[in-house]
Amino acid sequence: MRVLALLFSCFCLASAADLDYGRDIRPILSENCFHCHGQDSKKRMAGLRLDESPSGAAVHADKILDRITTANKARQMPPAYSNRTLTSDQKALLKRWLDEGGKYSKHWAFVPPVAPPVPSGAANPIDAFVLRKLQAEGLKPSPAAKPAAWLRRASLDLTGIPPTLAEIDAFEKDAAKNGDGAYARTVDRLLASPHYGERMAIDWLDVARYADTHGFNNDSEREMWRWRDWVIQAFNSNQRYDRFLTEQLAGDLLPNPTLEQRIATGYGRNHVINSEGGIIEEEYRVEYVSDRVRTLGMSWLGLTLECARCHDHKYDPITQKDHYRFFAFFNNVPEFGEDGRVANAVPMIPAPTPDQQRRIARLQADIAKLEQVSARLSAGWKFKPMTPPAPPADVTTALNLDCNDGPAPGIQGNACIAKDAKTPAVPIARRNPLAFRVWLQSTAADTDAPILSTIDYSKNEAAVGYASGTELRLVNGEVELRLSQRFPAYALRVQSEGARIGAGEWRHVTVVYPGVAAEPDAMRMKAAWVRMYIDGREVPTRILNDGASLPSPGEKPSNQIFKLGWDNAGKSGTRFQGKLDNIQILTRDLKPEDAARWFESDALPYALSRTQRSPVETAWIRTYALKDKNKPLDDLKAELYAVRRASPMTMVMQELEGTPRPTHLLLRGQYNLPGEKLEPGVPESLLGAWPAGAPKNRLGLAQWLTKPDHPLTSRVVVNRFWQQLFGQGLVKTSDNFGFQGEFPSHPELLDWLARDFVDNGWNVKALMRKIVLSATYRQDAAGSPELTARDPENRLLARGPRFRLPAELIRDQALAISGLLTEKLGGPSVYPLQAEDLYKGIVVAADYPGTKYITSKGPDLYRRSMYTFWKRTVTHPAMTVFDAPDREFCIVKRSTTNTPLQALTLLNDPIYVEAARKLAERALREDAKAPIAYAFRLATGRQPDERESQILRTSYEKLLQTYENDRRSAEALLTVGPAPRDPKIPTAQLAAYTGVANMILNLDEVITK
Amino acid sequence: MKQQLSRRSLLARTGYGLGVAAMQSLFGGTHFAPKAKRVIYLFQAGGPSHLDLLDYKPEMKDRFNQDIPPSVFGGQRITGMVASQDRLPVAPSMYGFKQHGQSGQWFSSLLPHTAKVADELCVLRACHTEAINHDPAITLLQTGSQLPGRPSMGAWVDYGLGSENANLPAFVVLNSLPSNGQPDQGLLARLWGAGFLPSRYQGVQFRNGKDPVLHLSNPPGLDSNVRRQQLDGITALNQHLREKVSDPEIDTRIAQYEMAFRMQTSVPELVDMSKEPESVLSLYGDDAKKPGSFAANCVLARRLAERNVRFIQLYHRGWDHHGGLTDKLPSLAKDVDQPSAGLIQDLKQRGMLDDTLVIWGGEFGRTPYAQGPLKPDNYGRDHHGRVFSMWMAGGGIKKGLSYGASDDYGFNVIEGGVHVHDLQATILHLLGIDHTKLTYKFQGRQFRLTDVHGNVVREILS
Repeated sequence: MRVLALLFSCFCLASAADLDYGRDIRPILSENCFHCHGQDSKKRMAGLRLDESPSGAAVHADKILDRITTANKARQMPPAYSNRTLTSDQKALLKRWLDEGGKYSKHWAFVPPVAPPVPSGAANPIDAFVLRKLQAEGLKPSPAAKPAAWLRRASLDLTGIPPTLAEIDAFEKDAAKNGDGAYARTVDRLLASPHYGERMAIDWLDVARYADTHGFNNDSEREMWRWRDWVIQAFNSNQRYDRFLTEQLAGDLLPNPTLEQRIATGYGRNHVINSEGGIIEEEYRVEYVSDRVRTLGMSWLGLTLECARCHDHKYDPITQKDHYRFFAFFNNVPEFGEDGRVANAVPMIPAPTPDQQRRIARLQADIAKLEQVSARLSAGWKFKPMTPPAPPADVTTALNLDCNDGPAPGIQGNACIAKDAKTPAVPIARRNPLAFRVWLQSTAADTDAPILSTIDYSKNEAAVGYASGTELRLVNGEVELRLSQRFPAYALRVQSEGARIGAGEWRHVTVVYPGVAAEPDAMRMKAAWVRMYIDGREVPTRILNDGASLPSPGEKPSNQIFKLGWDNAGKSGTRFQGKLDNIQILTRDLKPEDAARWFESDALPYALSRTQRSPVETAWIRTYALKDKNKPLDDLKAELYAVRRASPMTMVMQELEGTPRPTHLLLRGQYNLPGEKLEPGVPESLLGAWPAGAPKNRLGLAQWLTKPDHPLTSRVVVNRFWQQLFGQGLVKTSDNFGFQGEFPSHPELLDWLARDFVDNGWNVKALMRKIVLSATYRQDAAGSPELTARDPENRLLARGPRFRLPAELIRDQALAISGLLTEKLGGPSVYPLQAEDLYKGIVVAADYPGTKYITSKGPDLYRRSMYTFWKRTVTHPAMTVFDAPDREFCIVKRSTTNTPLQALTLLNDPIYVEAARKLAERALREDAKAPIAYAFRLATGRQPDERESQILRTSYEKLLQTYENDRRSAEALLTVGPAPRDPKIPTAQLAAYTGVANMILNLDEVITK
Repeated sequence: MKQQLSRRSLLARTGYGLGVAAMQSLFGGTHFAPKAKRVIYLFQAGGPSHLDLLDYKPEMKDRFNQDIPPSVFGGQRITGMVASQDRLPVAPSMYGFKQHGQSGQWFSSLLPHTAKVADELCVLRACHTEAINHDPAITLLQTGSQLPGRPSMGAWVDYGLGSENANLPAFVVLNSLPSNGQPDQGLLARLWGAGFLPSRYQGVQFRNGKDPVLHLSNPPGLDSNVRRQQLDGITALNQHLREKVSDPEIDTRIAQYEMAFRMQTSVPELVDMSKEPESVLSLYGDDAKKPGSFAANCVLARRLAERNVRFIQLYHRGWDHHGGLTDKLPSLAKDVDQPSAGLIQDLKQRGMLDDTLVIWGGEFGRTPYAQGPLKPDNYGRDHHGRVFSMWMAGGGIKKGLSYGASDDYGFNVIEGGVHVHDLQATILHLLGIDHTKLTYKFQGRQFRLTDVHGNVVREILS
């Protein structure tokens, strides 16, 4: 307790000299009084308001003093039922403040930062501010850390990977010779490393709540890694931080947004999404929007905006109305409350990787060239009589309607006129292939009408199985396939792109869903499997929904009866107006050449028989005649479509088309209790004016947040980077800059950094460089017992940072020093070793993607931990045991705990036992004379001292003796982990060194930076 | 040494019995004398049907297939599960109910063993929750909020009271799957998570098989002698470092490694049931010998309780009977009936029931109206939160009491309503904690398990 008092005395109590309202008084009032005497007018007692000038305290000074000092329990403030009490120190402070006139000042964090004059005494302004504070406290800075210790610290901080021994050697030499220049060169090298982006991304993934699953109890897989890779790339390319913010918040609203800018908006979609059957849509849609507000507040404002969701904020001057005006910015996304059962939730876009983008660009260029060739061929083509091809011979159909008894002429004989007609039953199974081909002639081009449908749209849309079934549809000239379990979220919904089926034309449509044969180990139906052909030629497709699940193998087909040209939409339904002909449904795959043949065998006799041919009909004949010559072009197109289909998808922010969704204040935060209608907006009087001319949307919001004089954004951001390096921010409550947040330990330094950051173009690398090159950062981390007692959390910065590494870095370091690390940047998440039955007993009893952990093979076992499949409800234990969050919501600061489970993990988890063996092998291979010292140096960056060498040596000798007497155990230990063992090293020796390496990986120094 | 303890290391030491906990350090003990020293929570995940197990509704018998009167229905929110149904017809339970024991409490024929301990139980017949879906409902019950992010009940208790066993975690979680192989809904690690509390307060999941705690066993070929030698070396090296850098966190680390080593002995000893006499195992039924079954977990729960583990959380999944309830419910009830009753008897015969609180129940009940087709002996029921039943027994709870009542349809609370937050307040109360005073400051606000709600249900306290 005494220690606690000392700690608080450093930061909370005013010195005799001056009293600062923001630092000394408001925290007391906020904690104890604002709850009932703050801005929440509904809860305000006795009409007394203490949170704003000039009313309140000064006017009622005597009364207040009386009530806080009285011994009468009934009159005492704060009242007993509030569970709050004022200490005598606090009462004394309040009295002094009131005696001095009860002056208010605006909360420091709501005033734009102004660069304060830099104190003299140090070249780096950071050091100057820190030194001044130390001097005021009567403390001295610590001496500089040894160069190797600094190098390890800086390497882990900037790249997440410890330095190699060669790097240490080189740096030690350089530092001895060139001093500061060596440090600067090294920092530049580290900042240029591609691993810099990885390290910087880790903290942001927590803030932006990135994960590979949707959360909630189904918790199935989502595909968002393109967003994660965007973050890495943004840091590596040193994207200006205001752009970093803008693209994530509103990339889609920028003029002509690039693919990468749209991917960036996944920031707004990383929240959890619920797919539990039967939930109420609006309830969860509101949750998602609320999550965006909360995350916005935490990410950039350092404010707990979510506290104003149900009522005015109890502490900060944020009203409930303010909350819902923020809400309005994010309330216009075309999304569902229930979605994401087996794949991404809408809105989503295909997000080809940079490699795929290059392939697509190359294919498009090649196609453009061949198109010219093709155009010349077409221009030079002259009609010659020809023999039409025969239909494909070996195609068996499940249903065949030639409609020749129909009333009107069709493409062959008569056509079907769609009027309440139905087909016989077709056996359809989700795992099995399904294909359609049909001739159609629509009287209208801009129609949205079913061609073949088994879907009933007339039931309650809230029902779990709403509009399930199969449908082929014509939507504004494009063909759409719907394989639906619950429309539209749990449907596979694919549309052709560029079919442009016009009015009055006979066109031939072929659609193929190949079933799981396309991907035998798939755990869901995939829209990417669908291929479409118009007039026998493949067309590109786009995915509208991709949420259909697969049943377990052994599924019995269901007999479905298709309506021709109509569905069960009731009165709102549209009927297909026109003719259909030669309808075939197949329950097998259809090869591209068969799709072409089928078309040709119908189309050519028809076209050839016509005396007056339409341009389309002429094109059929010409295309057929030039088919062989155009084959290279068609092949390239097929390849292009295949690359496009193989692209990963990513969820994005997008605005609803048409009328924006209205936003209402929600009473008590309840989705079904709308109050006053509100427009998007920000608390301008508190945090600064809306930028002139900025649009009232997310883009304008980004412009407001990145105004150079915004009081919060820059402070919050630099504080978080400071926290990353020093273990805690200058504002310790990095998630709360409001009244309840902690006053900065070094307010001038924070403001100087914020100002400098913005004035230098929001340059993150420059900021990191400045801090890492400071003498403050370079200090030795060792404290003395006196210093530890005086400042246990190192708030005064009288020594260098020393704290346990984040979960990811503990494992990455073990992989790096054992030589196992696969240094591949980005890509889909991977599945390193994990207890095989970990999901058993926890995950939902359905085979949704993400419910089975299929361990990676080969190099993917050893990727950096940030690429580990992040399942929200059962996160990888090697991560959670070291305090990594499950990412269900925004986290700005992790806890750092110290538990026996951490010991068990580092001692026994096969990941670490394998790393120990590979570290031993490496040390023996690279320094056979002193392998222990070598391994120790790899892990700590320094040579062991005499005592350490002796302890490790003794351990080794004991272990060697054990394993020489027990070869079988030695063999057994060396079998842990899939990485092959170096057969050249004798068994007992390797086992003993593995045991020693295992010890090294468990040392406090190794898991601490 | 003592004056070097920073707040950080002081707090870090509160996990796993290494030192004082929040309550002791902040309040010098519990807020008042506890009635219960530990909790065994038998969570029935998925929503067991109160109407077929604990809440006897003879009035429904004659109303088979009739509509629920609008006056009863009120503002019930309809889930998408039944949104497509034209009607919501009354489905009376097909199971017979009888009164049992001196207390004359009603139990359905599916709970014959529970019925035998009727006089030990307090059945809460008017529990209620606002949540109507699994994830939010179970999260509310276990963390006090429907949304993720809050600490679980066990984590709060661990944070508040600390551990009384230096060799075992204070908060242990045991999961079991139904014997019918249909666990339905998933669980979520957040249910035993620490939320915004430091993560050391999260529940430690005990598993079946070789490693009851993840990575508890030494790797193959590395026996406990070798491990001891290694630990001696690690400790010596860490102490050496401690002298150089003066970071008290290292002392904590050394202690945690010793705790890990002790767990390597204490946990296998704990889960080794070979010395449990047949007479004891038979109380829990035949499944008690099947590792990982609910019955075996109940035996384990008693063993944990004997070792003063503070919060023992069991989960049994598979109660989500939207359809075919009558096919599935009997086997689920059989899974848990005898083991739950056996646990009560076993605790009692050891004199431990007096200071062990046992809780049995799910996240909500099920609707009196049928979901899907309705036959007298075949029906399904949707989620229902407006009223449902649970039971409590042991430390500080009145015996042989049915508390609260639902209406004729088991649809609404008539009297004695116990909201989830009331239940939580009561559980903390029995442990000697004032639920309004066990708080943790996060993002500038003092949070508590019961949010800003909850009243202790004094009527059920002994």
